[in-house]
Amino acid sequence: MEKRPHALLLKFPGTNCDAETSRALEEAGFSSEILPIACVDEKSLGSAQLIVLSGGFSYGDYVMAGRLAQLEIERRVGDALMKFRDGGGYLLGICNGFQILTKLGLLPEGSLINNTSGRFICRWVRLERRVDDNPFLSGLPDNFELPIAHAEGRFVAPDGAADKYMDEGLAALVYSEDVNGSTNRIAGLTDRSGRVLGLMPHPERFLWDSHHYDQDWRGDSDGKGSGYQMFKSIHNTISGEMAHEPG
Amino acid sequence: MEEKLPNQPSSNYREIPIRDLDPKALGSLSESMKLSLSVEDMIEIQVYYEAEMRREPTDVELECIAQTWSEHCKHRIFGARIEHSGSEGEEVIDGLFKTYIKEVTERIMEKKPGFVLGCFVDNAGFIRLDDDQAICLKLETHNHPSAIEPYAGANTGLGGVIRDILGAGKGAKPIASCDVFCFGPPDTDPQTIKADDVIHPLGIMRGVVRGVRDYGNRMGIPTISGAIQFDPSYIYNPLVFCGTAGLIPITDIDKEMSSGLKVIAVGGRTGRDGLKGATFSSMALDTESHEEDQQAVQIGNPIEEKKAADFVIEARKKNLIVFVTDCGAGGFSSAAGEMLSEVGGNLYLEKAPLKEPGMTSWEIFLSESQERMVLAVKEESMPQLIELAGIYETEMTEIGDSDESGILKVWHHGDLVCELDNSRLHDAPVRHLSSKYQLPSGTDHDWSEDSLSDDLLSVLGDFAVGSREPIIREYDHEVQGNTLLKPLAGAEGDAPQDASVVRIDDSEKLMAMGLALLPEWGKTDPQAMGKGTVDECVRSLVVSGANPDKIALLDNFCVGNPDDPEELGMLVETCKGIAAAAEAYGAPFVSGKDSFYNYFETDDGAVSIPTTCLISGMGVIENESNVTGSSARRSDSLIAVIGTTDSSMGGSVYARIKDQTGAEVPRTDFEVALNSYRSYHLAVSEGLILAAHDVSEGGLAVSVAEMAFSMVAGIEIDLDSLPVSGDLNNVQKLFAESSSRILIECESGSIDRIQNIFSESAFAVIGRTDPSHKSLRFKSDGVNILDNEIESLKETWKNVLTPYY
Repeated sequence: MEKRPHALLLKFPGTNCDAETSRALEEAGFSSEILPIACVDEKSLGSAQLIVLSGGFSYGDYVMAGRLAQLEIERRVGDALMKFRDGGGYLLGICNGFQILTKLGLLPEGSLINNTSGRFICRWVRLERRVDDNPFLSGLPDNFELPIAHAEGRFVAPDGAADKYMDEGLAALVYSEDVNGSTNRIAGLTDRSGRVLGLMPHPERFLWDSHHYDQDWRGDSDGKGSGYQMFKSIHNTISGEMAHEPG
Repeated sequence: MEEKLPNQPSSNYREIPIRDLDPKALGSLSESMKLSLSVEDMIEIQVYYEAEMRREPTDVELECIAQTWSEHCKHRIFGARIEHSGSEGEEVIDGLFKTYIKEVTERIMEKKPGFVLGCFVDNAGFIRLDDDQAICLKLETHNHPSAIEPYAGANTGLGGVIRDILGAGKGAKPIASCDVFCFGPPDTDPQTIKADDVIHPLGIMRGVVRGVRDYGNRMGIPTISGAIQFDPSYIYNPLVFCGTAGLIPITDIDKEMSSGLKVIAVGGRTGRDGLKGATFSSMALDTESHEEDQQAVQIGNPIEEKKAADFVIEARKKNLIVFVTDCGAGGFSSAAGEMLSEVGGNLYLEKAPLKEPGMTSWEIFLSESQERMVLAVKEESMPQLIELAGIYETEMTEIGDSDESGILKVWHHGDLVCELDNSRLHDAPVRHLSSKYQLPSGTDHDWSEDSLSDDLLSVLGDFAVGSREPIIREYDHEVQGNTLLKPLAGAEGDAPQDASVVRIDDSEKLMAMGLALLPEWGKTDPQAMGKGTVDECVRSLVVSGANPDKIALLDNFCVGNPDDPEELGMLVETCKGIAAAAEAYGAPFVSGKDSFYNYFETDDGAVSIPTTCLISGMGVIENESNVTGSSARRSDSLIAVIGTTDSSMGGSVYARIKDQTGAEVPRTDFEVALNSYRSYHLAVSEGLILAAHDVSEGGLAVSVAEMAFSMVAGIEIDLDSLPVSGDLNNVQKLFAESSSRILIECESGSIDRIQNIFSESAFAVIGRTDPSHKSLRFKSDGVNILDNEIESLKETWKNVLTPYY
């Protein structure tokens, strides 16, 4: 049997999208494991090709979203996630995971702060893909929809930095309209290696046609949604690499 | 005060001499200790200590008995013997619960073996989803806490009902929540509020919504369904209902205590927050409540509960739980009471981790601090449980054990502070009450047809009908990735739906969740309200695709002063209504809750809420293709209606806008309705229904408009085709809220087969969608009586709450 790429989901107290994200990864062909942060050490990261930080409210997010999770990761494994990326691993942060990866410095400098409305927002949004060759997004069309659900999704960056991210292809995903006040409508960022992606929308909530709010929405002939395509893209990238590895 | 050295902790309790007190002194004692016990109750307790125990009670024991016997925990009004004079003459009712809830369910269970898998005993009611899995549902009220501290009250209201689900069976997984609020109108003039310290409805609404949001979202449980009623009678005593549904393997539903088990507490620590919540909830509110009872409102910490939830569910999957329950009202005393009341056992208060030092024995035992679960486990499971608690970073402490004594013994630093024979402890005296009700004679009304267009806008723009979108979007209703029919959907994602639907992992079947409440009807005719409410709840589930023969209901009542025979009479009549409807539909009640003393002593006298009956339900949807939304989908389709429209305008939004009270409230014909629901389900199963929407608040005009809000086409309706009973004018056809009606959209090619399916029902094609315009048109006698741009109707409907929330 062909070996499936392995995904590890780190779970903090308050992480709450881990089960459905794990389901999405399995559906796309990964084997997956949810690892509570209390069990995480440097060794436990070694088995995975992809590390996922899924959505939720790590430690309640009562201080800046993702801040305590960042400190806990650093306390436990130092810069192991950076080493994981540099060693060829992939990292995906969804919603709270995006906030954590940003705090860890694995994504371009910036911060995710309160939406301009001051409210939590649960709705679907239209997104534009602004990079062609990102391993997480290559299988997606230029425009697609995903649901968002966050109170702190407004991306802000030091003066001029957000424009630079747009020019340099780091702003991988933008909202088609202003939904939360994000600078340049940035919804997702990638790092310079392209191996790390963080996004506020929830791809794991759009696996099938039936997830869409419009009963008449139709994607491809398999009945799969745009979120599935995202997990499939990274799956295909990783399995392609695994097939070329010796042994 | 005696000084205690910190290294010599000791118990802190006292004896309360009651054996020599006369009835009057017993009453004052109950009052001064805020026990909420009647003089009769106190006498019963006195007799028990005199005759059985031959000693004085401790304060721990008295507090424990007070909470166990409180209305909040014991539902003594639903158990009372009531002499009722009402719609069926004079009668004696041997318990509302037994007569109108329990026995109805038992008769349905006999007819539907294997469907209800647990009811009334555990924390929630269970029904069968498929061969392996069951779903369960529980709704609670948190009215008084939300009145004095809206954010924290609602926050912990949801937190509490989630724990009910975690403590249902051996630990069900929470999969969806709902919330229902009754508030004063947001535009209430503050000058009209006739009591100090009452929070304006706007403050209540904002606080309550944020409280639900911050708990539900952090727990990762989608809040998928809800309702809000606005009425001035809720200004002083708002109502907050929170509900959660759970999923559990059928084999994990039954749990049984035995001797020799360890009792462990998991989750949050015990503090002084939430003292006497159960007894507080069993009293009326007044201005003093706002000043004095703050400590009765708990403080929520959803992450603490999330960790405990992860722990409980994992422990259940690993088969480490023998018995589990939550610490709700009454705290350890009720949890331990539930676990140890039959087998007996010991609880050691000094072992409970505390939030603060210096708590007295009764405070530890009775505290309602949040986020605590209590489990009974085998000793050999302890190492694995300790490991799990470490993994999920939740605090777990052994606090007691079970034995075979049949007696609950509570120890504090070596002193026996409470010793109760539980078989006696739970025997609260049955109350005797009397009630009366007389249906007011119907009044005649003229329903003028002069301003239909303005009327439509007024109804769509009324607080009763307008979109709840600003609130719905604050709740994460899609976490867990299973919400298929969302509260807002349709081609633009913002049109209202009936029930909400979640898919279930590893099952073909899905769960629909719906609810209904019609307090406006009850002001005129509570029995008709009861019937109509059950009908509307069942119908919303059926419309969304649930099998009409696989629906279970919950009853949640909120009532003003039960000592007032007329208010109690309204409740009795409501119960008669829901019982008749549930029995006719074969939809058993599997759980419920009641809340009394929802009245407030204002400067101008007591203000009671109207008798409020929330019926919620869960239904099984056989497969995903049966899931049906409420938004129009085609521009060349037909619109048909199932059911008859009659002239009754009582309780309608329209009548209310026109300040018309006392008009006759709609009747519900169960047999006709159930037949049409079964036919509808057949049509759904054959794939013939594109969309369907129940006709309820606002009547036909609002329902058609709401279907049109997907903006895919114009809709034209001919009122002359509408099946009616009696002589109706156009106001009645457009705005009457007759029961049991469903609007459907279907392809013109399917209509012959559909008509065939509905040959026994009132059914008629009344209109069609039209690609050539985006207007909503109603025709009568060949002329357009209404012609509005759907977009402007939608704008009116969408902006009802936006100025306030």
